[in-house]
Amino acid sequence: MASGTLPDTASLLTSSVRLPQHVVYRAFPSETVVLNLHTGRYHGLNPTAGRMLVALENARCVRDAVSAIAEEYRQPRQAVEHDICELCSLLLTRQLVELAAPNPS
Amino acid sequence: MSARLPPTPRLRIHERIRLATEIVLSFARARHQLRRRPIEDVVAVLRRAQAGAPTREAAHTADSPGDLIEARRLGRAVMRTLALLPGDTRCLTRSLVLTQLLARREIAATLVIGARAAPEFLAHAWVEHAGMPVLPPGEASFGRLVEL
Repeated sequence: MASGTLPDTASLLTSSVRLPQHVVYRAFPSETVVLNLHTGRYHGLNPTAGRMLVALENARCVRDAVSAIAEEYRQPRQAVEHDICELCSLLLTRQLVELAAPNPS
Repeated sequence: MSARLPPTPRLRIHERIRLATEIVLSFARARHQLRRRPIEDVVAVLRRAQAGAPTREAAHTADSPGDLIEARRLGRAVMRTLALLPGDTRCLTRSLVLTQLLARREIAATLVIGARAAPEFLAHAWVEHAGMPVLPPGEASFGRLVEL
């Protein structure tokens, strides 16, 4: 578990999310399996969370990932934003992702 | 008509003992490293430790067809020998042991970690040479996660 404070929502939305080199994942129909090579631990994400992870990795920033998922799943933006921020917090706590400055567009 | 490789000669008893000893020592080395480092570093350390080590006079050139036969033979020897040992001798340890043996013989190898999610989650590790498994790979339902 990472120590320290998690970023607030505003900071999170303007950040980009990237997977460290030592974190790998593969999507299966029933779940996405994530492996942290440093800890040797496997983590499972349900299909929606797995899709969110891909969107986060590909997006310029978290806000853009929210837009992409809200459009793909045709869900209210506010609900998607809440779910993605919650997922980011979970992934950060488990040291599966890192936050960085927004990717260049 | 394709040329056939000569059959691999059976090892003499003293060669079998030497190979078994090498496997046991490699097993101990792998276990020791796994307790101290992440898997990526373990693979790198174990390979480096073998590089430059005196090797038997190679009967095959690098990446020759004989390398695959030799790699598979060593894979079978690793499985047979580790089955007799106590402790964790599962797929990852077997893969690390074989990786060392192949590095020592300058046979290129890749350690693959895969997983499946259904019917239940299962992870598996194996070794490949030139894209061919030299330890039992996962079933078709296994997806590759990483190659080291």
